[in-house]
Amino acid sequence: MTFARSLRQIAIVMRKELVDSLRDRRALWSIAFSVTIGPVIIAFMMNRVADRQREAEQVRIPVVGMQHAPALIDWLRQQSGVQVVEGPANPEEAVRNQEEELALVIPADFVHTFNQSKPVVLQIVSDSSRNDARPSVERVRRLLQQYGAEIGSLRLIARGVSPAAAQPIVLEDIEVSTAQQRAAQILTFIPMFIIMAGFIGGMQIATDSTAGERERGSLEPLLVNPAPRLVFVGGKWLAAALAAMVSTALTTILCANLPRFLPLDELGIRFRIGLEHLPGIIGAAVPMCLFSSALQAAVGTLARSFKEAQSYMGVLVLLPMIPGVVGALYPIGNAPWMYAMPMLGPYVLLTNVLGGQVPPMNAFLISAGISIVAAAIMIRITATLFESERIIFGR
Amino acid sequence: MIRVEQLRKNFGTVAAVNGVTFTAENGAITGLLGPNGAGKTTTLRMLYAVMRPDAGSIRVDDVDAIADPHEAQSRLGVLPDGFGLYPRLTAREHIEYFGELHGITGAVLRKRTEALLDLLDMRAIADRRASGFSHGERTKVGLARALVHDPQNVLLDEPTNGLDVMSTRAVRTIVRRLKEEGRCVLFSSHVMQEVSALCDSIVVIAHGQVVARGTPDDLRRHTGHANLEDAFVALASPRPGGLE
Repeated sequence: MTFARSLRQIAIVMRKELVDSLRDRRALWSIAFSVTIGPVIIAFMMNRVADRQREAEQVRIPVVGMQHAPALIDWLRQQSGVQVVEGPANPEEAVRNQEEELALVIPADFVHTFNQSKPVVLQIVSDSSRNDARPSVERVRRLLQQYGAEIGSLRLIARGVSPAAAQPIVLEDIEVSTAQQRAAQILTFIPMFIIMAGFIGGMQIATDSTAGERERGSLEPLLVNPAPRLVFVGGKWLAAALAAMVSTALTTILCANLPRFLPLDELGIRFRIGLEHLPGIIGAAVPMCLFSSALQAAVGTLARSFKEAQSYMGVLVLLPMIPGVVGALYPIGNAPWMYAMPMLGPYVLLTNVLGGQVPPMNAFLISAGISIVAAAIMIRITATLFESERIIFGR
Repeated sequence: MIRVEQLRKNFGTVAAVNGVTFTAENGAITGLLGPNGAGKTTTLRMLYAVMRPDAGSIRVDDVDAIADPHEAQSRLGVLPDGFGLYPRLTAREHIEYFGELHGITGAVLRKRTEALLDLLDMRAIADRRASGFSHGERTKVGLARALVHDPQNVLLDEPTNGLDVMSTRAVRTIVRRLKEEGRCVLFSSHVMQEVSALCDSIVVIAHGQVVARGTPDDLRRHTGHANLEDAFVALASPRPGGLE
């Protein structure tokens, strides 16, 4: 009887907080921001990677002294994606002023030196401080080395020597950071953004219904209503958690639709969030939302004003970013203890789920169990704070 | 009816309420009169169970307010001192929110809300958000949500503080009406004229203690001052306990 009454009162408080926050522009903006910022950043970064890759394949080579080496120019023109153009009069000036990414300078005595089988000096003018020009410069360097190697081999063969004899070692570059991997790395931010959306999505309600309530002086009249403190805290917490869950859901939906707008195929990346991931995402994100809202409500209650609460939240919001940022720099493993950490557990679970490796059921249970216990502790603390005269009357 | 006995509350070493005893009867207006800082608000806060007394007993009707605060609260309508509203909720939503928390729903809640909107002359502001309300309008909302569950006992902490003449009169009219309906009205004030004009019984509090108790006439007789203000000054001056 009393329990049923308490549940009804929790629902009443929750509904009031939701209605209240739906009318709060600040709350709606912060939810909209938290939901879209992640997918927007990912889309932007992906497009940059794709552009770079396209740029590196499509190389434009301004050549000074084109007429001195017609055979070389012909050979370059036959290579895919290469466009040879007449170079600037003063190549160093042009590169320094960023009019050109690079320039190839062919000396006037090219044919003469070439015919004597002596090394011809070709100059690549570039600015190594320009990161964006580096792929093009690299490509040109590789093309010219390739041309040199082909000519060298032909000369040795003409003299009856195996080209292999002139090559005591062969260097093979294995580039680990391909565009593909860079793009895949950007996608590892998705779990972090989903968690961030949950964290920020519930924040406004969690602070407005605690610190805001204290600041307005509406807490005292509220507590005159006949209900246990846990009822008031529970209703506020559930409202915040619900907003957090809606935010994570929206971010997940946006991320799932990213492949429609991004050149993922072009980058050779297979990325998909589909219905088959849904149970895993819910299993990881829902307990996280329950915990983060409870934590925010407890911290918000300690703040005397909305502003004060916001400054605490500014620090708290770094919390869900830590595993994401660390995870992007060092691959986070799957050590079992990670599932037992309130914010880290859901992050690792999400990373695995989205990466296509479904973690064992135990991992979900441990993570959810820990989050719920931690949430319960936070709610208990908040309810105790709601008993405190310093909190109720201290403004 | 509210019965308070030997109520005590300390803040650190300061005895904010130091053995307060009084009774507020049904069908009567009882005034809690005292200078600022006398312990009126602290006493009321213990009555409506958001503050725990260090000692003493409180009975609301026949309910022990310390043992069963929620049952006591459901028999109390409270207008706290310096209460706040929710700026994004309308006047009507404020009333309904508190009504629902008291377990009133549906047609009953709608009827009570409409009756209060009429009683307090709030029709014009019923569906406006509270953010732009004047002090008088805010007080009306506070009163309406305090009365939505039809409480037998009404506690008003300085309800006319800072109100203009019109709003003050409106509050007084409500208070008289609550008395006529047979309710127990307990209201605190530091304004002499108000208490003497309105109250059937006055409890004068100073330094956390009851220094006098009785009808306005009793107090005048007690102190030997024909003027109630002089009587109040004589009672509230720092010689606690000497006059009762």
